[in-house]
Amino acid sequence: MKSPNAIPSVTVKLPQLLRQKAGNLTSVTVSGSTIREIIDALDANYPGLKFNLCYETGKLRPYVNVFLNGENIRYMQDLDTPVHMGATIYILQSVAGGRS
Amino acid sequence: MNHRKMYEPGTIMLLVGTKRGLFLLTSQDRKTWDVESTAMNGSRVFFATLDQRDGQRLFAADNGDFFGSFLRYSDDFGQTWHDPEVGIQFPEGGQYKLENIWTIVPGRPDEPGIVYAGVDPASLWVSKDGGVHWEINAGLANHPTRENWLPGAGGLCLHTIVADPTNSERMWVGISSVGCMRTDDGGKTWVFANKNTRASFLPDPYPEYGQCIHRFVQHPKNPNILYQQNHCGIYKSLNAGDDWIDIQHNLPSEFGFPIALDAHNPDTVYVIVENPYGRNNVDDHFTVYRTVNGGEDWQALTEGLPTGPGVRLGVLRHGMCADTLDPCGVYVGTNTGQLFATNNRGDSWRLIADFLPSIYSVTATVLV
Repeated sequence: MKSPNAIPSVTVKLPQLLRQKAGNLTSVTVSGSTIREIIDALDANYPGLKFNLCYETGKLRPYVNVFLNGENIRYMQDLDTPVHMGATIYILQSVAGGRS
Repeated sequence: MNHRKMYEPGTIMLLVGTKRGLFLLTSQDRKTWDVESTAMNGSRVFFATLDQRDGQRLFAADNGDFFGSFLRYSDDFGQTWHDPEVGIQFPEGGQYKLENIWTIVPGRPDEPGIVYAGVDPASLWVSKDGGVHWEINAGLANHPTRENWLPGAGGLCLHTIVADPTNSERMWVGISSVGCMRTDDGGKTWVFANKNTRASFLPDPYPEYGQCIHRFVQHPKNPNILYQQNHCGIYKSLNAGDDWIDIQHNLPSEFGFPIALDAHNPDTVYVIVENPYGRNNVDDHFTVYRTVNGGEDWQALTEGLPTGPGVRLGVLRHGMCADTLDPCGVYVGTNTGQLFATNNRGDSWRLIADFLPSIYSVTATVLV
C-alpha cells in the first residue's frame, strides 16, 4: 500500500545547456514535495545546478522557466508549488530577444 | 584529445570579451593579426585576462543570460574551461545575489596564485590558489556606508582593481557609482579616495562618495600617480588618490569610459571622450585622445580611424588597453564590433578585426 507521506518522485527534463552538469543526461529522477525541494534534490545530486536555476537569495532566475505537467510555476505557487508522484517537470530557458 | 595550442614567445595576444563570446587575436609584428574564436561562445564575456606568473592561465568572466554568471579559467588558451571548486557566489539565503563579474586581475608579480575579481553587487573577491577557490573581501563587503551605495546605469559594479606592486598592503578599487576606494592595510579597511572629483548628478557635486568612476590606471614608475576617467571628468592624482586634479583641459567632453597609458612613457595617457547622450564619438570623427605631458593638454588622434556622418562608435570602460612594448600599441574595441590598433603610440591606426559582437573588453599580453 502506498504511504500517504511518501515523498514524490518526479522526472525532470533538463535544458541542453545544463545537461553536462548531469552527466549529459536529458532527464533525471529526483524526489521532493515542492519545486523548491526538487531543485535542492537536483543540487544534491548534481552540485551547482541550483545556482544555475536560482539566485543566492532563493528566487528563480528571471529567464529560467519551470513547467510542472505543462504549466508554468510562475502562475502557480512559484517555487512552493507542490509536486505529485510521477509528475514531469521541464526546465527551460526563456525565449527572449529582440531588445539588444 | 585536444592538442594544446602553442604560441611563440613574444607573440602579442589580445583577449577580446564580447557580448557573444571570447575571441583571441595574435600577432608577431603588430601588423598582421590572426583572429580565433574560443570554446567560450554565446556568453556575455565582460572581461578576460591572461596570467603568466605561473604558467599561462586565462581567466574569463562568463556572464550567461540564463543560468548565472561564472568566473572560469583555461590552461589551453580557451579550448577548454574549468569552473572553480569554490566559485564566486554569495551565501545562500542571504540578501545579495551575483549579477555580473566585471573584472579579473592577477595579483602582484611576487604573489603568484593571488587573483582578484570585481563583481556586481560591488564586492572584491580574492583567490589565493590561481582561481580554484574564491572568497569575498570582508572589509569592503562590510563597509559601514554600504547601505547607501547606489548603482550606476550598468549596475553597482566593482569594475577596476589596482594592486600596488610596490606596496603589498595598498590597493584601489573603482565602483560605479560609489567612486574610488583605497586600502592601506591589505583589505581590512577601506577609505574613499574621491576628493575633488565631480558628481554633477548629485545635489552636492563633490560628495565624499557617490561619484561614477568609470576606470582608472596607475603610473607604472610612480605608484602614487593615478589617472581616472570619470562620468564627470578626467582626473589625475599625485598622492595615491588623496585628492584629484581636473585634467580635462582641451578635451571636447568630460564623459568617457576607458583610459590607458603607455608603460614606457607614463605621462602619455589615452582616453576616448564621448557625447554623453549618444555615448559615441563627439563629432563625425571617431577619435582617440592622447596627452604626452600628464594631462596638460590633449591631442586628437584620427589617422586611420573612421570618419563621416554615419560614424557613431562607442567604447566601453574595458574596451581600450595598451600593451607593454615600446613604442606602445593601443587597442580599441567598439560596442559595434570593430577592433582598432596602433603600433606607434597612436600616431596612426588600423582596423584589425570587424564584425565581432559588441566588444566589452580588450586586454593585451606579450607572451613569455
